[in-house]
Amino acid sequence: MGYALIISEVRRGVFEERNLDAIGIANLAGKDAYLLIPEGNYNINGNMVDKIIKVKTEESMFLNPLIITGLITKIMDSSASPEMVIFTHSSSGIEMASYLAGKMGLPIITDISGYEKNGDIFFKSYYSDKVFGQFKKTKESPLILTVRSGSFKDFATDKGKQAEETTVEGLSGIEERSFIEYVEEEKTGVDITKAEFLLSLGRGVGNKDEIPKFEELAQLLKATISGSRPVVDKQWLPKERQVGTSGKTVKPKVYLAMGISGAFQHIAGMKDSECIIAVNKDPEAPIFQYAHYGIVGDANKIRDKLKDIIQGG
Amino acid sequence: MDILVFVKRVAATQEEELRIIDDGKNIDLSKIPFKMNDWDNYAVEEAVKIVEDKGGSVTAISIGSGESDEVLRRAIAMGSKDGILIESNETIHDPALRALAIYNFIKKENMQFDAIFTGVQSEDDQFAATGGFLAGKMGLSYASMVIGIDAIENGYFVLRRELEGGLQERIKIKTPCVLSIQSGINEPRYVSIMGIRKASKVERKIMKFNDYAGSGDAVIDLIRWSYPEKKGGATMLTGEVDAQCKELLEILKNKGVY
Ligand SMILES: Cc1cc2nc3c(=O)[nH]c(=O)nc-3n(C[C@H](O)[C@H](O)[C@H](O)COP(=O)(O)OP(=O)(O)OC[C@H]3O[C@@H](n4cnc5c(N)ncnc54)[C@H](O)[C@@H]3O)c2cc1C
Repeated sequence: MGYALIISEVRRGVFEERNLDAIGIANLAGKDAYLLIPEGNYNINGNMVDKIIKVKTEESMFLNPLIITGLITKIMDSSASPEMVIFTHSSSGIEMASYLAGKMGLPIITDISGYEKNGDIFFKSYYSDKVFGQFKKTKESPLILTVRSGSFKDFATDKGKQAEETTVEGLSGIEERSFIEYVEEEKTGVDITKAEFLLSLGRGVGNKDEIPKFEELAQLLKATISGSRPVVDKQWLPKERQVGTSGKTVKPKVYLAMGISGAFQHIAGMKDSECIIAVNKDPEAPIFQYAHYGIVGDANKIRDKLKDIIQGG
Repeated sequence: MDILVFVKRVAATQEEELRIIDDGKNIDLSKIPFKMNDWDNYAVEEAVKIVEDKGGSVTAISIGSGESDEVLRRAIAMGSKDGILIESNETIHDPALRALAIYNFIKKENMQFDAIFTGVQSEDDQFAATGGFLAGKMGLSYASMVIGIDAIENGYFVLRRELEGGLQERIKIKTPCVLSIQSGINEPRYVSIMGIRKASKVERKIMKFNDYAGSGDAVIDLIRWSYPEKKGGATMLTGEVDAQCKELLEILKNKGVY
């Protein structure tokens, strides 16, 4: 049995939960799980992996694809090369995985959310989950993967014994790319994570002029407005209103999504809401798979009708 | 600063029914509208902005069928100097093959550049891997999820890249480099039909993908398509809009939020 090398994600002292998905798929694929992590006081269940490789370095080195690739290359060139190198499908995971694949000329499949052991088949999303492509590698070589968070964590199980630990030498900075600092989003008055009722708007609402009309509805409903990334990118709503992996994670009592398709980066930020209601004109929109209630229809018409009913008494 | 920007024509499926055909071998895109990949729109804008400020030129390059010329024209209308189509009539799913062809193209045609821009991902296959693979292959410095360029100083970009949950990192990166540009970094300029028409007069070169594909072998293979697993799904509110809305308000009341 070969092993999978898992590149952990750590942020300011925290071992991120999404690492469990990488551990999970290694288990599913029948590989030993070797975890690569910077040295530090991270809270890890050492029974979940077979080996922990600690690197004498600071966390920011694990954000640098050039440096990490140098380290992984060394491990791969050694006698015991991994059969898989697994990253999270996250900002830094994607960056490192693709760079490593190019450097070493290895096959890469990203955003994996399903696996079929029989045939060694990996499922990856196309068109924001409208369909999935089933992939196999075509040559005998290590495979590089990024896995979607939430997909495999249930397969990260206790193995009943503590992982072996080793420490490898530190990494030093390089001139080609260097870390300066973390930059935190500005804190503003609104905090959508505190709202009980979010009215969340997506690209499907059409254009900026529609926003004030939704704000009126939000006022009538005593809801707080939030939105998907494109709506923020287009500056229809300010950044602090964004829900999703690169925005906020919210858990309101009710999440009413209008004109949002349900890409995983969005879903990851709202799936634990108590009640999800989706309005979308496409009956096949992926968001209906996560919603408790759905309406197939035009968001703007539904908005106007809701306003009429409320104001009509 | 000379910048090569890679742009892709993609199917806009958000509001369309996407059907799997030929026993899972293909998907039917015949009735679906196409457009420039959203992320590439931001990448072109960022490159053009830099060149407007610092001088130099932007060249837009696309791999795809002859119809991809429309995204080149768009990129030119936005301010690219010229466009190159690397023509391939087959859909290339493997980012390794795509990046390898770009690598060979750049070497063979002796393309000069200070930076290569791509979008973070394309909306169709969402691999988000072409830029990184290319950088690794070329041995260039790389950053993805670039959400702000703070400074360009002799031989370096100082930029911010997005991590998660609103957190960013500021880094310094040496040129020449490859940057994958994140949506929201700028406000892509409006392109008029007139602008596109004018762009049609600018020469676009056409090259053949196969001339750069090496052995042409993908290292991964898409063997089958499938629909997403159904997860229980939502209770649908049906009937007239009026009835749907009344039921919706009822649910809000029951949940105690209205
Ligand atoms: C690194 C990275 C990080 C990301 N982070 C986030 C994030 O934090 N949050 C986030 O949201 N996204 C994020 N994304 C983007 C994500 O992949 C999707 O592109 C995005 O979520 C799509 O937003 P949307 O649903 O509003 O738009 P679309 O996907 O364009 O969907 C619009 C929907 O509206 C429907 N529609 C159209 N017209 C109407 C109408 N009149 N009435 C009703 N429905 C209509 C359509 O059927 C469609 O389903 C990230 C992407 C990357 C690569």
